[in-house]
Amino acid sequence: MAKFLGVIIDEKRMAAIKGTPLEEKVESIFGGALRRLVIEVPDDLGQKVIDQFTKARFDARGFIEETPAAFKRAIFKRIAEMKELSAAVVEKVLAEDLEKVKEEAAKEDKELPVPDIDISDVLELQKNPVQKPA
Amino acid sequence: MPEVRIKTLPPPHGGKLVDRVVRDPEMARKLMQKCSAVYDIKPTLFKGNPVRNVYREIMSVCYGFFSPVEGSMTKAELESVLEKRRLLSGWVFPYPILFDISEEDFKKLGVGAGDWLLLRLKGEPFAILEIEEVYEIVPGDVAVRTFGTPEKNPEVVKVPFDQKHTGYNIYCSLNPIILAGKYTIINEPKLREPFNRFWYPPKRAREEFEKRGWTTVIAHQTRNVPHTGHEALMKNAAYIGDVKPCDGIVVNAIVGAKRIGDFPDEAIVEGHEMVHLAGYIKPDRHLVTFTLWDMRYGNPIESLIHAVIRQNMGISFHMFGRDHAALGEYYDIFATQILWSKGIPSFGFEAPPYAVDGGFYIRPQNIEEFWFCPKCKEFAYSANCSHKGIYSRYSGSFIRGLINEGVMPPPEIYRPEVYKVVVKWWQKFGYPFNNEKYLKEREERLEVDLPHMELPAHLKK
Ligand SMILES: [Zn+2]
Repeated sequence: MAKFLGVIIDEKRMAAIKGTPLEEKVESIFGGALRRLVIEVPDDLGQKVIDQFTKARFDARGFIEETPAAFKRAIFKRIAEMKELSAAVVEKVLAEDLEKVKEEAAKEDKELPVPDIDISDVLELQKNPVQKPA
Repeated sequence: MPEVRIKTLPPPHGGKLVDRVVRDPEMARKLMQKCSAVYDIKPTLFKGNPVRNVYREIMSVCYGFFSPVEGSMTKAELESVLEKRRLLSGWVFPYPILFDISEEDFKKLGVGAGDWLLLRLKGEPFAILEIEEVYEIVPGDVAVRTFGTPEKNPEVVKVPFDQKHTGYNIYCSLNPIILAGKYTIINEPKLREPFNRFWYPPKRAREEFEKRGWTTVIAHQTRNVPHTGHEALMKNAAYIGDVKPCDGIVVNAIVGAKRIGDFPDEAIVEGHEMVHLAGYIKPDRHLVTFTLWDMRYGNPIESLIHAVIRQNMGISFHMFGRDHAALGEYYDIFATQILWSKGIPSFGFEAPPYAVDGGFYIRPQNIEEFWFCPKCKEFAYSANCSHKGIYSRYSGSFIRGLINEGVMPPPEIYRPEVYKVVVKWWQKFGYPFNNEKYLKEREERLEVDLPHMELPAHLKK
């Protein structure tokens, strides 16, 4: 069975591949709520990726998950540059970008920037909990 | 005609709820007088990292979650649990519950059978262990027999357990000396925020159900901040009941030592609470609770401790999904559902655990899977929706990946209010998931604080 590597395509990434053949390869998931590109890789290459990162694993659908965000960034950069969705993209990242990816990933394990969103509505809801301590 | 309505809560497992908490300080002082030594509870370490704290088991025993178990198991009881998944009394019980201590500490304490040992937690008196028996174990053997092997349990065990399995590591890391005997909490700990409002030991849970007029209640096991798939599961599974859907949906989170990459327990309990605060399930039908237990990830074996806990709480039904409380691919992904639909003879179940002697009143609700289907326009049940290529399956690791990349999960995956609870704890811990720093600090902080209690003079050094 082949394995898969999904890369989420946000507005910024979409802009970077606009007008290339990659654009029509973008698939929508969760009813269009998210978009992604998927690279299919042979089993052994999939395993090679997993071996690089302690948390990485295949999920129930055969997707390689829990790789560092830095790895996904590197993959996307190479996709945009090579304009293809092949195993060669993954091989290129493993061959040339791995050291830098691991360096950034080590920082990721300690701290991740908190999203800049307003959470005051939930803090307000939590002021009147239904359940109270005994 | 048989009565189809369920009019009462199921009885406690073993017939009677265990309550071994002394709330009178005068009585506590008297009991401490009988202790001959003091021991400071230490976490169980695997490669230097805390993977278990026996205090959680003492809490779960004394507050009745593990009824009818009353303490650390004797050698005969341990053997019976490992061999048959039964206590000596015949009641089903899946896991060894043990108070382990190193040879060095044992020599230092100088205690033996018949002595009472005062256990201290966070520097304060916490509980008493009435030592009934002292014996040795080979931790690796206990670990292997706890989870099973492909040879002995071919129905569901696919590969031998190894050091990538957290639960296996917990048993392998136990100290070799076991002090068996009953536990009694003599200094009631105070649950910390935010856990205090979710603390519903069996007695309190049953009182709450009665107050709310609930007789049909379904349990949802969780170790996650709930996404919309979990929510669909809870709501749909709750259509089981008697002549109407279940009165109550009880979320019971397992709180304890966790793995890197899981959500912090604080976000898990508050995330579930947000489901009712934000109105997705009415709060009068929904109760968020937790049990202190260092998850063993024993899939079918773990489902049995879940049944013990939740039946003791007064719950009548239990949702069991695919990969229930699983980690890795040691067990068949349907192992828990196999156990709860036809039994696993090699683990002592010729029939499902509700149909064997010493078994449960709680009934399983074995559920397949929910996914998001834009064509059905709903969170569809896998046995209904056949829109392959259109629906999107949920994957916890996919969702963690989104968060990791800084992408806000869409409302199709997370209710915005629930995601904001994740962000709240992200702000506090600097990280959305358990990382090394969090795990280390939480095992020092624990979930409780202990009031100051003076040691009796004869125990002061
Ligand atoms: Zn559908």
